[in-house]
Amino acid sequence: MKQVFLFFFGFLFFFLSGNVFSQDLDVLLNAETKPTINYTSATFKASRIISGHSVQQMKKNQLDFRISHRFGTLNEGAYGLWGLDNSNIHFSLEYGVTNWLMLGLGRGSLNKIYDGFAKFRLLRQSTGAKTMPVSMSYLTTLEIKSQKNDYNPDYFSSKLTFVNQILIARKFNDKFSFQLTPSWVHRNLVETELDLNDIFAIGAGARYKVSKRMSVNAEYYYKIDPNAKYLEPRTYNSASIGIDLETGGHVFQIMLSNSIGMREGMFIPHTTDSWNDGGIHLGFNISRVFTL
Amino acid sequence: MMEEFTSDLTSREYLHCNFKNNAMIKRLFVLFLITASIGVFGQSKFIAKNAYISFYSSTPMEDILGESNEAVTILDSETGEVIFQAIMTTFHFKRALMEEHFNENYMESAKFPKTKFKGTIEGFNKEMLKSASVNIKITGVMNVHGVDKTITVPGTLGLVDGKLVGTSKFKVTPEDYGITIPSVVRDKIGKEMEITVKANYLPFGQ
Repeated sequence: MKQVFLFFFGFLFFFLSGNVFSQDLDVLLNAETKPTINYTSATFKASRIISGHSVQQMKKNQLDFRISHRFGTLNEGAYGLWGLDNSNIHFSLEYGVTNWLMLGLGRGSLNKIYDGFAKFRLLRQSTGAKTMPVSMSYLTTLEIKSQKNDYNPDYFSSKLTFVNQILIARKFNDKFSFQLTPSWVHRNLVETELDLNDIFAIGAGARYKVSKRMSVNAEYYYKIDPNAKYLEPRTYNSASIGIDLETGGHVFQIMLSNSIGMREGMFIPHTTDSWNDGGIHLGFNISRVFTL
Repeated sequence: MMEEFTSDLTSREYLHCNFKNNAMIKRLFVLFLITASIGVFGQSKFIAKNAYISFYSSTPMEDILGESNEAVTILDSETGEVIFQAIMTTFHFKRALMEEHFNENYMESAKFPKTKFKGTIEGFNKEMLKSASVNIKITGVMNVHGVDKTITVPGTLGLVDGKLVGTSKFKVTPEDYGITIPSVVRDKIGKEMEITVKANYLPFGQ
């Protein structure tokens, strides 16, 4: 019996090691391929979901030239060609200093603002050798209103608005991405006593890819502003829906939004139009990326 | 313990108690590992863990070059079989945007993370591994973008400066692998991609 038992084991060893001898090349190859960190790319197509920032940023030495328009409201009717007579423009140059730092400078016709921002990448969503469920960035911006006014004295500090945001995004699959954006807007000078200097808001943005080069995006900023309904004009939460179209180095974003502002310091606290009565602005962003 | 195994117990006791004996199972496992590893070392296989693969497309509008230095390849000197594997995200480009488009729009790297080739060197003999470089032909199945295609590609194999080097250069058509190129960018991406492969092989296990 013992002999039978030993023979059985001997046979088993022979069989198993024989298996290794004739081991399939595929198995060996997979064993030798070292695990890589798969960073999630293209959570969103552009550095903006619609008006607000996304976790995307320019990689090192990439320069993004952006031109954006927001037209008047659809409820202007045929006389104002549904808002197209009235156009606001914003353009900016945005540059990837490193893969984790992006700087931008811009100018907008609304309030004749000059603005700048810095976006820092803190976390990158990844799978494989290192697992990270979300991407996270920090955005800080400064907006300077250069519109002439009757204020006396007219301090420079009164023209400043600061915005800080944490962007937390996850690409759930190759089609669907979602972002949450806790935001803090500080305006040095506000128009009335009812206007708050500090407004906190939470933004939510999503995109759904309908084809390889087209996605549908939505963005909503819920602001905590108990005085909103007493203001004249009263203010609303910013809500937008849009489409991203990508062609090589260009991304076109076409949107409908109740916000005319194209910068966080404007559209988060001071969106004065409402979707309910047709206060909807048609708009677009064009992004052209150059590699320097 | 070994004495226990070989002499002390009757066969009945074997079956009823020694199967539960951890020490014995451990010993069997170690023995198995030794035999298994002898198996691996005994193989006459050659490996390159940092093989170079590039693809190049040239049009009057734009030149596109993607390169990876992290492909893994194994050559079996008994059978003349050769296998390659590259992870798509290890390909790097001059422009970050090209890399993103490569992974997102063309290769769909999240869905198809690897490219693989498995083939056999035609007329292989072991002398090829010990003599100066000669021209060879390899026929096998290439899997790109989830599509299998049988191809025959030219190459070289042999000693270069005392090291075993394999190279190959051939052309592929993206459409053959279900990769569609939209008309907007058709002018910028060549009809065919030139693939260049270079591997410095070392004996397996070194």
